[in-house]
Amino acid sequence: MLNILVSIKQVPDTTNIRINPETGTLIREGVPSIINPYDVVALSLACYLKNQFGGSITVITMGPPQARLALKEAMEFGADRIILLTDRKFAGADTLATSYTLAETIKYLERENPFHLYLFGKQAIDGDTAQVGPGVAARLKVPVITYVTKIENIDLKEKIIILHRKTEKGVEIIKAKLPVLITCEKDLAKSPFVPLSEILKAVKSEPEIFAADGPVKFEREKLGLKGSPTQVKKVFTPELKKDTLIYDLSTTSIDEVVMKIIHILEEKKII
Amino acid sequence: MESYSFDVVIVGGGPAGLACGIKLAEKGVNTLLIERGRFCGSKNLFGGVVYTSSIKEIVPEFPEVSQSPVERPVTEEGYIFFSTKGVVKFFHTKSDSQEAFTALRARFDAFLSEYALKKGLLIAPKTKVVDIILENFKVSGVIVDRPRSFKDLRPAEVKAKIVILAEGVNRLLTEKAGLVKGPFKPEEVVLAIKEVLQLPKGELEKRFGLNEKKGLAAELIGEITSGLPGTGFLYTNTNTLSFGIGIFLNTLVNSNLKPYEILERAKAHPYLHELLDGAEILEYGAHLIPEWGLQGLPKLYGNGVMVVGDAAGLVNPLFREGTNLAIYSGIMAAETALEALEKGDFSEKTLKSYEERFKESYIYKDLLLFKNLKKFLLNNRQIFETYPNLIYEIFSLYFSAQGQYKKEVVREIIRTIKRKRGLFGVLKDIINLGRLFW
Repeated sequence: MLNILVSIKQVPDTTNIRINPETGTLIREGVPSIINPYDVVALSLACYLKNQFGGSITVITMGPPQARLALKEAMEFGADRIILLTDRKFAGADTLATSYTLAETIKYLERENPFHLYLFGKQAIDGDTAQVGPGVAARLKVPVITYVTKIENIDLKEKIIILHRKTEKGVEIIKAKLPVLITCEKDLAKSPFVPLSEILKAVKSEPEIFAADGPVKFEREKLGLKGSPTQVKKVFTPELKKDTLIYDLSTTSIDEVVMKIIHILEEKKII
Repeated sequence: MESYSFDVVIVGGGPAGLACGIKLAEKGVNTLLIERGRFCGSKNLFGGVVYTSSIKEIVPEFPEVSQSPVERPVTEEGYIFFSTKGVVKFFHTKSDSQEAFTALRARFDAFLSEYALKKGLLIAPKTKVVDIILENFKVSGVIVDRPRSFKDLRPAEVKAKIVILAEGVNRLLTEKAGLVKGPFKPEEVVLAIKEVLQLPKGELEKRFGLNEKKGLAAELIGEITSGLPGTGFLYTNTNTLSFGIGIFLNTLVNSNLKPYEILERAKAHPYLHELLDGAEILEYGAHLIPEWGLQGLPKLYGNGVMVVGDAAGLVNPLFREGTNLAIYSGIMAAETALEALEKGDFSEKTLKSYEERFKESYIYKDLLLFKNLKKFLLNNRQIFETYPNLIYEIFSLYFSAQGQYKKEVVREIIRTIKRKRGLFGVLKDIINLGRLFW
C-alpha cells in the first residue's frame, strides 16, 4: 500500500493571460484558474500508482478560498483526502514561507501514517521558481529528486524506487530508498480519462480547511508576508533582442549577399 | 459495482438545462445535470443579450446579485442598414434600463450553474452523454463517455425516471429518442460567427457615446452579410464588443464564401472599419442557431423524456429570443417533471402536459406567428440586398434637399424606388410581409 501526498497550486491559465503594458502586472480579470499543469502530472501519477499498488492519496494546497475548486478537481484523480490551507495570515508567502507552511502541514498529516511518496510539480507556471518542492524536502529531511520523467519500478517490500530524471546532459537513472520527494516533468504521466464515479465524488467533495491557528501549530513569524524575505519589485516581459539585417535582392546581387552572410557567420565563429 | 440512479437526469448545462435544474433542485428532486464542457458556459455561444424578465423566473433577486453575470444594460437598441456607400441608423434610446443586458456566455452560464449548485443541483462536468437507454419503449437513463470506475472500463450508465434533453442545436439524443427524424437540413439552421473585440482603453465609451450605465445593441442589415439572407449584430460589453454575423447555412454554402471571409468583408465596410479601428480579437467562435421553427419542431416529449431549449429549436431570431425561450421551456419541463414525480407516472400520458404548457405559452404562439418568416426571408433576398441600399439612397436625397424645390426631391425619391424595386415590387413586399403576421 502506497501512501501518497500530492501538493498542488491553483494558477491562472497562462495560455490566456495578457500583461498590462502600463503596469507590467498580469491581467487576471476573466482569466480562468486551473491546476498548475505540472501538478496535474503529479496527480495523474498518483492516480496510476494508487490503482497499481493500492493505497491512498492526500492532496494539499495553499491559496485563497477559491482554491477549493482546484482541490475538488484533484478528487477526480482518486484522492482520498483534500486539504486547503487558507488564511489571511498565509497570504503573501514567498517560496520560503510556502515550503515552511506545507512542510509543517505534511509533518502533521503523517504523524501516524507516514507518506512513502511526496509528489510536486517541477514548477508552477505562474512563478516558475521550482523551489517549493525541494524546500519542503529539506524541511522534511527526505531525499529530493527533481525533474522526474519516468518511474521504472517501485518495490514496496524493499521500499525502493527506481526512476529517471532529466538533466541538461541527459537522463539519470536513480535508485532511491522511500520515502522520497519527487518533482514531476510533463512526460511523467498522462492524464487519466477518469471514470464517472470519480467525477461524481469530486462534485460532492469539500476540502478540509486548515487555518493559521490550527490544527497545525505554526510559528507565526514564519508564515505569509512576515515569513517572506522575497519582495517583488517589478514584473515585466523581457524583450527579445534580435538584430536583423535585411538585404534587398533587387539592389544587391545574390552572390554579394551570400558572401556577406558567410562573412558574418565566420565573424560570429558559427562556421 | 456502483450504479447511478436519479429521479431526473438533465443533459446539457446551458440556460434551458440549468433553469430546469434550478427549479427541480429547489423542490429537492434528486437531479443530475451532465455537462460536456469543463464548466457550464465553457462551450456555449450566443450573440449577447439576455432579458431580466426571464432570468428573474429562476433568479428572483436578479439583477441585484453579487458578482454580476452580465455586461452592460441595453439602453440603446436599434438597426443599422448597410448600403455600399454608407449606413442609416434607427435607434431607440432609454435613459435608464434594467430590462435587457449584454452578456458573455462563459460568465453568464457559469453564474447560473453556481446558483444551481447553491440550490443543491448536482452537476457532472467534462462528461458527454453518448446515448440514451431505452427499456420497453421508455427512456430510462443515459450512457456517458466515461468509464464506470478505474476497474470497470465499460461506459457508465446513469438511470433516471425522466431524462430532459437540453443538449443544444445538434440534438443527436433527441433523434435517438425518436422524437425527431434525421438530422436537420442546412436551410433550417443559421451559422453565426462571432468575435469578441477589445478596443484601445476608453475608446469603447468614446466611439459609442456610452458611460458605464449604458450599453448598445444593434442589429446590422444589408451589405454587412454581402447581401445574403441573414443579419449581423454589434453589442457593447463592459470592456469589449461582441460583433458577429448569422447567415442561413444553405445560402452560405451556395455563396462559396468561407465564414471568416464574410466577417472580414463586413469589417472592411467603411463604417465598421472606422468603428473597429485598432480592435484586438480576444475570442472567435461559431455556432449554429436552430431556426427550423414549428415545421421542424420535434415531438417535445416521449415516455420518460422531454426536450427543451435549442434542441427543440425554440428561438425567435427577429426578437433575439433564444435564451429567454430556453429558460421558459426549462421551467415548463421542470413543472411537468414535478407533476410526474408526484403521480409516479413517467409515461407519455403525464409528460404530455409539457406540450400543453408549451402550447399555452407565448413561445408557441410566437412560433406560430413567425412560422413562415424563414421561408419569406430565404425567398425574398431583396430584404437584404435592395432595401438597405434603397433606404440609404432615400435618406441621402432627403438630407441633401436644401437649395432644391422639395417637390422635385420627392419625385427623385420615387424615381429611386421605381428604379431599385419598382412600386409594384415594394407594394407586393409590404403585403407579403403583412400577410406573414395576419
